[in-house]
Amino acid sequence: MTLKRIKTVILKEWREAFKGGKAIWISTIAIPLILLGISFFQLLQFSDLRNIPPEELPPVAATLFLVPLLYFLMFPLVIPHTIAIYAIMSEKEQKSLEPLLATPLRTEELLIAKALASVFPAVGISWIAFGLFLGVVQVLLPTAVLELAWQQLGSIWLMALGLFAPLAAIFATLASMAIATRVSDLRTAQLLSSLALLPVLLSAFFLVFQHLMGKPMLLGLLVLGVFVLDVGLVWLNAKLFRREEILTRWR
Amino acid sequence: MIIAENLTRRFGDRLAVEDLSLEIAEGEVFGFLGPNGAGKTTTVRMLAGLLAPTTGRAIVAGVDVWAEPQRVRTVVGILPEHPGLYEKLSAWHNLKFYADLYELSNAEAQIEKYLTMLGLWERRFEPVGTFSKGMKQKLAIARALLHNPTVLFLDEPTSGLDPESAKTVREFIVELSQEKRTIFLCTHNLYEAELLCTRVGLIKQRLIKVGSPQQLKRELYGRQVVVELKEPIDLSRDLQLPFVHHMHTDGTRLLIQLDDPEAQNPLLIKRLVELGAQIQFVREQDRSLEEVYLELISEEPR
Repeated sequence: MTLKRIKTVILKEWREAFKGGKAIWISTIAIPLILLGISFFQLLQFSDLRNIPPEELPPVAATLFLVPLLYFLMFPLVIPHTIAIYAIMSEKEQKSLEPLLATPLRTEELLIAKALASVFPAVGISWIAFGLFLGVVQVLLPTAVLELAWQQLGSIWLMALGLFAPLAAIFATLASMAIATRVSDLRTAQLLSSLALLPVLLSAFFLVFQHLMGKPMLLGLLVLGVFVLDVGLVWLNAKLFRREEILTRWR
Repeated sequence: MIIAENLTRRFGDRLAVEDLSLEIAEGEVFGFLGPNGAGKTTTVRMLAGLLAPTTGRAIVAGVDVWAEPQRVRTVVGILPEHPGLYEKLSAWHNLKFYADLYELSNAEAQIEKYLTMLGLWERRFEPVGTFSKGMKQKLAIARALLHNPTVLFLDEPTSGLDPESAKTVREFIVELSQEKRTIFLCTHNLYEAELLCTRVGLIKQRLIKVGSPQQLKRELYGRQVVVELKEPIDLSRDLQLPFVHHMHTDGTRLLIQLDDPEAQNPLLIKRLVELGAQIQFVREQDRSLEEVYLELISEEPR
């Protein structure tokens, strides 16, 4: 396995995906911008925070930071599915898999590259968006608010953005790729992924997080659960990404 | 350069290729002919290390295909039935992507060489989606050649091309064979096969026949000489030539089957003149590869 070939495929995926149409731009740029805008709007609701007595700050800070965190954790679920589906369906539609598989590229390199091409932007955009949000908080609100929030929620942030976000992105990517390998056109793949996969993921995600606010232990269990699911999907995709399977069963 | 030994491939209950054995020499242009679904693509995929045979083995450019599939893919180039290009990327980015997968140290020089050779250099930064079918086919050929493979598998290389582009591609194939590259050409274009191939193989699940187009014609029809006369003559008397196995008369035209026309024609002509024939033309009857193909394929069970 060579990192150079993986990098080559990732760059090709990005070059192709971002020339691929509106769906990719909407999921990777427009949706994050909208959610970031909503988060900033919510910050304005707390513009009189300077007048709140210090003893009332902790519950306010928790509310202030956990809801936007939920938005930023949605990105790893929303962003990858469009790119991941496109990564498979465009190869199928252009019938480019045979010449690709005739190169020294290994199927595991192809799988890893296609998955990372979706996971990297998803996780990167989550981190950048949350960083921007913290920057705006720092500018708009008293420094004490951010310090207090870090004391109370630091472990949740780190676990959610450092572990949950990448694992959730891997999950959404691999699940979308598995769907894409089994359908014959882009629209069906998007439809199946949007109708079947995303609502299930997002509902489960919101339900779980409502109970997890401020409970790092439970979040840890969730991270572990997603990790187990990821392992299962890696196994499934490894079976779907065998050279013979791709040439004879991907239609 | 290519050795296939008893290659068989099944997909479930369906037999795609049965017991195929074949040897192709370096620099040879080998035509692989057969109807749709005869197993041509499956054979190419087995020889190029893309599909494993159910039984049998293959050695390509000295590499045991299924012992070292990764290595064999570095010495073969494939032009599949569909060009399979990335339509939103430019010609340059398509080739650069493949050059990087082959980890070529001289990628840019190779890209320039083949794009120039195939007349695509001026349009290298345009998206492939804007190219004509012929241009896409040429670009796919450039992609197959980028890493200087010693063995090339070409599936219908001139399919859908205008006559001028098809001629360019055929001339290019001849050039490649002169560079001592071995070319495995799958085609339905029998004129092209006859023009380009040193030998052809006919497949319908199993290999029916292998030989040069000339050899196959002779095996099937023997050698026939056509003698055109000024006026019909009475040939009720025997020609009295032991080497004439069969003769057909059609007015002023005689069709005579011989084993060795080069040696026997002078004797034949002498005898005809003795019998009063006024000979205008003598030529060998040329059968097309298409006739041979249709005859052999029709003999095979469906």
